[in-house]
Amino acid sequence: MRQKLAGAVEDIMGRKKHPVLTLLKLEFVNKFGTVSLKDGKSVFKSLFYIIGAGALMVALYYVSIIFFNMFERAGILYEALVLVYGVVFAFLCITGVSSTSKVLYYKGDNEILMRFPIKPIHMFVSKTLFLILTQLGLVMVVLVPLLVGYAAVTEVGISYYVRIPISILFCVLIPFFIANVFAIPGTHLANKIKNKHGLIIILFTIVVSLFFAIYMLLFDSMVQFLKDTEFSVFSPEVVKIIKDVCKYLIPIKYLADMMVLNELYIAYPVLINLTALTLIGTILVIVKLYQKTLLGNIEAEGSAFKKVTKNKVRPVFLSLMNKEFLEIFRSVNYSFQYFVLACAMPLMVFFCNRITLALAKNQVGEQITLGITLLVMLIFTTIICSFSATSISREGNNVYHIKIIPVSPLTQLAAKFTMYFIVSFVANVVCIAVIIFTKQLEVKQAFGAFGVVQACSIALTLFSMRRDIVKPYFNLSGEGELVANNVNTTMSVGIGLLIALVIGVGAMFIGYLVAVETALYYSLGVAGGLLILSFLTYFTRLKHRFDYIGT
Amino acid sequence: MLEIKNLYKKYRNSERFSVRDLSLELKPGEIFGFLGQNGAGKSTTIKCLTGIYPFTSGTIKICGYDIQKDPINAKMNMGYVPDNHSVYEKLTGREYVNFLADIYKVSKREREARFDKYVAQFKLGHAVDTQIKSYSHGMKQKISIIGALIHNPKLWVLDEPMTGLDHQSMIEILKRMYDHCQEGNTVFFSSHNLDLVSKVCDRVTIIKDGIQQCTIDLHVKGNKETLESTFVKITATEQDLINRTTDDIFGIGR
Repeated sequence: MRQKLAGAVEDIMGRKKHPVLTLLKLEFVNKFGTVSLKDGKSVFKSLFYIIGAGALMVALYYVSIIFFNMFERAGILYEALVLVYGVVFAFLCITGVSSTSKVLYYKGDNEILMRFPIKPIHMFVSKTLFLILTQLGLVMVVLVPLLVGYAAVTEVGISYYVRIPISILFCVLIPFFIANVFAIPGTHLANKIKNKHGLIIILFTIVVSLFFAIYMLLFDSMVQFLKDTEFSVFSPEVVKIIKDVCKYLIPIKYLADMMVLNELYIAYPVLINLTALTLIGTILVIVKLYQKTLLGNIEAEGSAFKKVTKNKVRPVFLSLMNKEFLEIFRSVNYSFQYFVLACAMPLMVFFCNRITLALAKNQVGEQITLGITLLVMLIFTTIICSFSATSISREGNNVYHIKIIPVSPLTQLAAKFTMYFIVSFVANVVCIAVIIFTKQLEVKQAFGAFGVVQACSIALTLFSMRRDIVKPYFNLSGEGELVANNVNTTMSVGIGLLIALVIGVGAMFIGYLVAVETALYYSLGVAGGLLILSFLTYFTRLKHRFDYIGT
Repeated sequence: MLEIKNLYKKYRNSERFSVRDLSLELKPGEIFGFLGQNGAGKSTTIKCLTGIYPFTSGTIKICGYDIQKDPINAKMNMGYVPDNHSVYEKLTGREYVNFLADIYKVSKREREARFDKYVAQFKLGHAVDTQIKSYSHGMKQKISIIGALIHNPKLWVLDEPMTGLDHQSMIEILKRMYDHCQEGNTVFFSSHNLDLVSKVCDRVTIIKDGIQQCTIDLHVKGNKETLESTFVKITATEQDLINRTTDDIFGIGR
């Protein structure tokens, strides 16, 4: 990173290239890495991205056809287009504020670049161009298949396809300019709440749960529609509500109007004027506040909260657990990966289970409900437990502490394990309580499922911790945190999903072919076996492995 | 206080020994310096004696406790300050020190007395309840030192403690080292600063390419003055000698 920056500054000071182009190239290299035709890995990575984007576009195309057919059946195809634009527009505005804040105000290179003779306007223009170009790429990948899917459901002329790039341009520029206006107050707000960790967890949990609930409800509607294409998913009342909402969804409805050639004498002027207005707003905000906010943020980033406490004495084990808890709780990154997902898990399991059980019962029968529930719960448990696959890696440069303190490795690891156990236990208890309360399973089966899932949680946690003890990855960045998954996390998720399939699918088959009670005993047997295996694996030469951590 | 006998250390996947046949014995009340060039084996030796690295052969005893056979008791008598000043930055200074005080089972009365004393000595009163991530380099070093001393260890080990510190901070740390030894404890530290070592230490050992070259008692007349030349003579490479010969011919540096 430093070398790339040094090279960029040299180019600028030596006037070899225009500063904006040099800084823009630096942004792309930082985000995507360098692409070299001579480097096989780099070529493979680029191909992977291109094929991935292509696959996503194809998938979106087919999903959009189902989606638009569903609305067309109810006679509200135009409104569906408005809603698609609405979702994309809202998504771009929200993520635009976040990405604009990050790139313009939070990027680590800001502090370094400010030291060099680089004009703030050049920095701003290069970063803005970077944001616009990446947004353009994202919008094209998402919106083009959706709009082509719309054209597949209804008759459109050739000019429809010509208007697609125009609508994409409006869709990128207007939310981007709006985001820039809100990014500065957004940055100030983020700085104000960044040390209110409890509040952040609650907010994230609400947002994640809300998005998941909306997604599952929509998924449920589409599944219902797929079952019977003659059946209209929407009742007349819902249709009326959707029509009324879309009528007043300004300026988004004008994007749809532009595509379907409706009231063009209003649509184009509104969109052009809105673009101009938001651009002026952006220029005013940036000219007045950009450099000031940038400087203020560099100062704020390193700042920390003050918490006056007393010199409290704790037993060794509790002190270790307390330290582990605080290191996760006071990190937005780790909190989201762990506590937020654990809090949202019961709701996610409930919605997922509801839909899959309904599908399964109708298609096959009640006999597979236990298997389905186990599959769903084990998938979410896997996500929660995979966090323990970085229990040592997250120590980073502090790993020497675990070697020098007069506490046995067993005790130290037991403290970490206990914390993970408590979180997964509470999440599982709440999940089962919700399942029992909503009668998704019988009580006896629910308790059996709890036993299976809890045993698997323990087993998976031990497997993951063992893996990280044997080979930790101390690749920390940012505020000394792991910001990307490593091989251990990937492996943990892989093993967890395999366990989920073996137990869940196995229980479904046995439940269907033999009996549900047999399926329960099968699941308990497999979970019990995994638990024993995990203990054996974990404790084998544990001290020896521990001694070699960080060497 | 510290007894190292015939220490050998070879890293995994390495052909050569990073430390070969090192033996040391430290007495109570002394400041012991550990000198060597970069890559000589200083940090490796320190990491072996603190329990961070396992070692190939030899014995290390701290206050009579073998670091391999009785690590808990050995570590109870030792405090360590690393060269990278890493501490748990999401904790406040007070939380970090209390965490270590809990680990070392320091009583409430003792920890409060020592905490107040060290915070005053290192002038961290204004920052001790703020998250460590907002601390400067010197402040992190100081909180690391307080954490290492909260249990009043008999052996205090520091790896390059003065790196990146301003003069005032260095003075504070040196005073603390001196006071710690006055209480009958031992300080063992590695450094590149020959001038500092010659003024502060009672004895020094010089290590080169993992091999202990000599141990010098700085209380013996003349040893302090000749420490630098002894060090240069011991640690000079063939290229250094060639360069020196060339410099002598052309009169460079005179």
